[in-house]
Amino acid sequence: MTVATVESGWARSWRKNVRRHGWTLGVWLLLVGLMVAYAALLPRFGAFQITSIAKNSLPLVYLAIAQAVIVIAGGIDLAAGAILVLANAVAARLMEGQTFPVTLAIAVLVIVMATVLNGIVGWIITVSRVPDIVVTLATLFIFSGVALLVLPSPGGGTSEGFRALFTGSTSGTGSNFVPPLLSMAVPLALVAWWMRRTETGLSLYATGSNRVAAYLSGVSTGRAKVVAYAIGGAFGALGGLAALAITGSGESRLATASGFTLRAVAAIVLGGVALTGGIGSVVGAAAAGIVLFTLSPFLSALGVDPNTAQMIQGVLIVVVMMIAGIVELRRQRAL
Amino acid sequence: MKASTRLRTPALLGVLILVSIACGGTGGGGGEGETYTLGVSNTLVGNGWREQMICAIKAEALASGVVDEVVVVNENADTTGQIGHIENLISQGVDAIIINPTDREGLNSVIEEAIAQGIVVVAVDQAVTAEGAYVVTNDQEEYGYLGAKWLFEQIGGEGNVVEMRGIDGVPADTDRHEGFMRALEEFPGINVSQETFTGWDPTVGAQQALDIISAGDVDGIWTSGIDYTVVEQFQTANADLVPIVGADNNGFIAQLLEVDGLEGAAVTNPPAIGGVGAAVAIAALKGENPDQVVTLTPEVFDHTEESDLNSLYDPEQQVGWSTYVEIAPWTNYEAAQVSECAGPGE
Repeated sequence: MTVATVESGWARSWRKNVRRHGWTLGVWLLLVGLMVAYAALLPRFGAFQITSIAKNSLPLVYLAIAQAVIVIAGGIDLAAGAILVLANAVAARLMEGQTFPVTLAIAVLVIVMATVLNGIVGWIITVSRVPDIVVTLATLFIFSGVALLVLPSPGGGTSEGFRALFTGSTSGTGSNFVPPLLSMAVPLALVAWWMRRTETGLSLYATGSNRVAAYLSGVSTGRAKVVAYAIGGAFGALGGLAALAITGSGESRLATASGFTLRAVAAIVLGGVALTGGIGSVVGAAAAGIVLFTLSPFLSALGVDPNTAQMIQGVLIVVVMMIAGIVELRRQRAL
Repeated sequence: MKASTRLRTPALLGVLILVSIACGGTGGGGGEGETYTLGVSNTLVGNGWREQMICAIKAEALASGVVDEVVVVNENADTTGQIGHIENLISQGVDAIIINPTDREGLNSVIEEAIAQGIVVVAVDQAVTAEGAYVVTNDQEEYGYLGAKWLFEQIGGEGNVVEMRGIDGVPADTDRHEGFMRALEEFPGINVSQETFTGWDPTVGAQQALDIISAGDVDGIWTSGIDYTVVEQFQTANADLVPIVGADNNGFIAQLLEVDGLEGAAVTNPPAIGGVGAAVAIAALKGENPDQVVTLTPEVFDHTEESDLNSLYDPEQQVGWSTYVEIAPWTNYEAAQVSECAGPGE
């Protein structure tokens, strides 16, 4: 009797965990599958290829994390890509010709600035009650404009050490995949732990899932949103810094900003974050970011016409969403 | 003595086999039928000029008979993205990479990495400064200079002109601007009343042209190739035409031939430069040691009877097409092959 109860309790909690993290698990499996398929297509697959994917997907992964945190808290940041571009421009301008320690200090400064700046955006949204999408559409143009003022044409620079920090190589291209993987995993682990294990982190889920209910149960929903936007700003800045490390110079184009924003939204949708808020995880979003990045070299290696490659990316998102919808529907019927 | 001869033959055979395996590359076959794979990276999708550039690369690859595949990575991207393109092509094991670079210096380390892995790298249309890379370009500085000089002379060395540039920071745009400024120094009576960036996008250029026409007080327009939409805006607005400088776009050539009262000049900037780039890449792969730098000097064809505009016009083609495709002594294809836009095995 007792044993049976314990076992069914175990099974139930295991089932609950799979259900709760099923999507995240699925996206990671998709990523592994994609990597294996990609490796099989290439004449050689080794450290160079792993490094290439790890470092080149960094900006999108950081931005997907930024967007995931904000969307989970019930917001959406159309300016996420613009923060990336702005941080990229400011850092490239300030870091040119500096030594490694100085560039590190500048990087910290840029992250702090972006955190404060986007925190203010979150505060404006909370206080003014203007919809997120409107305020951040405005900040998309404002931040991109400021980036252009800071860096009117591509240029600036950074130190070799700083490039190695994100790319594993002082020239930005190489075969050392440890630094790019670490710079992806460490911030991801931190923010994932923070969102699931701290009161403030959980308040983001509460606010995003039902703002009124969260407010009535004593959650400071305004604070949650400001914090979410601030963290989004920090990860947006990380994306800009990673892009700077990859190229070694800065670039500020509106097309880059809006393009990155949209791809990050695509990544979180694929990663299982509900655009209505409260559901999903940064871990899933990060994996989806790598998947979306890898899809284009994968399709190219597969010999798919480049013009149809983008369409396939869109179709993939729709198909994944439909499968998820069907699974959800079946589960509701089963209950 | 005898023993060493006996050993030499198998050793030589072994070396030969190794060499033939090494030379076969991804193409598979070694020896006589040696074939190559070309990789292409383009970062501006849906732009007629760039698409024709890719067609010219495919056509030249097909005409050469020694290329068995052209892998095209065609995706809108900035420098970070193009680094990804090139690393992807390296991973796919191509023998040569032809790129239209987004940045003069930003790609150098990845280009040098490719060269270190034994891959031939050719930058077409715009230059890179990477060591060991082949650079095949239209002389963009001369493009800016020749067109601007024609324009300033046409309006009598005096008046307000508008400079409609391309994408800020892109090497070709910077070079053209330098040529433009060089011509400007020779004509002190010319005033640049406005400078715009079209992003080489016809819709953006059309809007800017409309603004320029509405503002009035313009005596001439220099464009970085977004030309026929500017003339169209003048026609739509029913405004008096001013001299316009453009490129060898089929649509603009048609206007120069047909629109009454249009004074203008087409400065050649053939997208077939892609074909020249492919020819250089293939020559380098064959070990023929082509020149490291190939520069084509633009030609000016104006609206007057003396210039042979008809040779540049093809009524069958779309507006953004350039008919200036056969470039001696490099290209081996027929003009029709570029129109077909099919590479080996397609």
